[in-house]
Amino acid sequence: MSLATDSPVHSSSSDDFAAFLDGELDSISSASLDQEEVENDDGSDVQSMKRRKMEKMESIEEPQDSTSHRSLEENLEASTKKDVCTHPGFFGAMCILCGQRMDDESGVTFGYIHKELRLGNDEIARLRKTDMKNLLRHKKLYLVLDLDHTLLNSTELKDLTSEEEYLRSQTDSLQEGNLFKLDSMPMMTKLRPFVHTFLKEASTMFEMYIYTMGDRFYASEMAKLLDPKKEYFNCRVISRDESTQRHQKGLDLVLGQESSVLILDDTESAWPKYKDNLILMERYNYFASSCRQFGFNCKSLSELKTDENEPDGALATVLKVLKQIHNIFFDELREDLAVRDVRQVLKTIRMEVLKGCKIIFSHVFPIKFQAENHPFWRMAEQLGATCSTELDPSVTHVVSTDIGTEKSRWAVKEKKFLVRPGWIEAANYLWQKQPEENFSLDRIKNQ
Amino acid sequence: MFFHIVLERNMQLHPRHFGRHLRDNLIAKLMKDVEGTCSGRHGFVVAITGIENIGKGMIRDGTGFVTFPVKYQCVVFRPFKGEILEAVVTMVNKMGFFAEAGPVQIFVSNHLIPDDMEFQSGDAPNYTTSDGSVKIQKDSEVRLKIIGTRVDATEIFCIGTIKDDFLGVINDPAST
Ligand SMILES: [Mg+2]
Ligand SMILES: [Zn+2]
Repeated sequence: MSLATDSPVHSSSSDDFAAFLDGELDSISSASLDQEEVENDDGSDVQSMKRRKMEKMESIEEPQDSTSHRSLEENLEASTKKDVCTHPGFFGAMCILCGQRMDDESGVTFGYIHKELRLGNDEIARLRKTDMKNLLRHKKLYLVLDLDHTLLNSTELKDLTSEEEYLRSQTDSLQEGNLFKLDSMPMMTKLRPFVHTFLKEASTMFEMYIYTMGDRFYASEMAKLLDPKKEYFNCRVISRDESTQRHQKGLDLVLGQESSVLILDDTESAWPKYKDNLILMERYNYFASSCRQFGFNCKSLSELKTDENEPDGALATVLKVLKQIHNIFFDELREDLAVRDVRQVLKTIRMEVLKGCKIIFSHVFPIKFQAENHPFWRMAEQLGATCSTELDPSVTHVVSTDIGTEKSRWAVKEKKFLVRPGWIEAANYLWQKQPEENFSLDRIKNQ
Repeated sequence: MFFHIVLERNMQLHPRHFGRHLRDNLIAKLMKDVEGTCSGRHGFVVAITGIENIGKGMIRDGTGFVTFPVKYQCVVFRPFKGEILEAVVTMVNKMGFFAEAGPVQIFVSNHLIPDDMEFQSGDAPNYTTSDGSVKIQKDSEVRLKIIGTRVDATEIFCIGTIKDDFLGVINDPAST
């Protein structure tokens, strides 16, 4: 085996280097032209052969070991680099700064960018800091978006009910591009109404990520539907395949500081460590299979041939909130940009929703349940209401499931608002106190 | 760097391919099997350019398959540490950029991008000098220096730098 140096395709950049390589390769090949080096095409010996080859590779991998061809200067440079380098991250198991082969497993793999890219914690912190400066200068924050039931709803074709069969013929006709039958999977996907406007407007205020519990393939297929021109997400699409923890989402793969990240998701439990960043979304259940999954026995939107409202649906509502937060963060806060915290802004806005309400619960929590820990109690407090267990004149609302309880009857007698628990949830999703008459208890009885 | 070398491979052929076109069938199968693949030692096989020699076939017991040792000339591509390569940028982000030179995937970290180039986010993320005269974005052609290589059985990875004289953008798609 030899290098054909007269070959026209040989494109050496320096003759010395070529000579060096020639030497290196020849010294190996002299020993290697025996029978065992020959490749078999049936894969029989391939494994052991590959291993042998990789071992041999090592010897040409590190040319600085044979110093004869390298100038002293180069060697000095290489050795000082070796001492100084902090090895901030790795690509293909090589240091991204000095190129050295490193096989340690520290750091976080950014598989959504490249499966071979891994960064150390210091490097991640450094990137977050520089990126944040860059972003704040452009008046942008970070927004992490869930897919299923937040931006869209998908169903397997086999789960379509007979009342949904009509959808099959509608996928092609929709020019707007909201209902898709995927070629690559036996699935149908419905984008949530308003999602195109939402993404367009949110992208002016936020650098956006997708973070889904779906797998890589699903995530990129959905990203194509939502962002066909690749304007919004670039490579920032994270699926469960790249997630650093099972069944949990986190901000460790998001290159933004936690104080400037907002999250939209319909599943609170997915973000156990980041509740302060989370805006909980009302679930978008378009397909019947999705309604069943969450235990609703009613007809789905698809079966009723209807949909969420565009101008005042969940995405339009939350966009208004995002605008408000963005506005306060950049235009109203007085402290230095670097110490502003979007979580604080979110909290403040949320506290306005039920401000001034004093709530008593009746027949809402299971007996012996620690009232302050119940989701409705916490939700009401986050919305700025005061919760109490004592009946007194300052109470404004009694939230109850039963009109016959003592507290409910007290509410009627004292002319206090008597509402179902849904009143709190609606306020939470709509970011506004809802008319109490829409949630009155007697209305349930009448139905 | 490209090399023109001779490699050898044992080809197994089904008896149905025997007859007048035996040689053609062997070569066609060889091209299909070898071109575009990577061997850890030689790098990426770009193309087979000729057949040196086809040895005597050995019949395998029981199956009727015949194994032929084939020596062939081919062009291989393998990057080396210190080599200067021209590559096309495939993705730009805040960590740096990825580029490809044929089958080779190269990462250039933002540590190894000149300090006067700053990352610009947006729908076409890029690194740009403060005066805007030089821009690295997707599809830009760059000249870079390899500082680390790893050749796997199927993939070739490199660490690159453009923080040196005469390195950087050689052709910006946006400016043409
Ligand atoms: Mg979800
Ligand atoms: Zn290093």
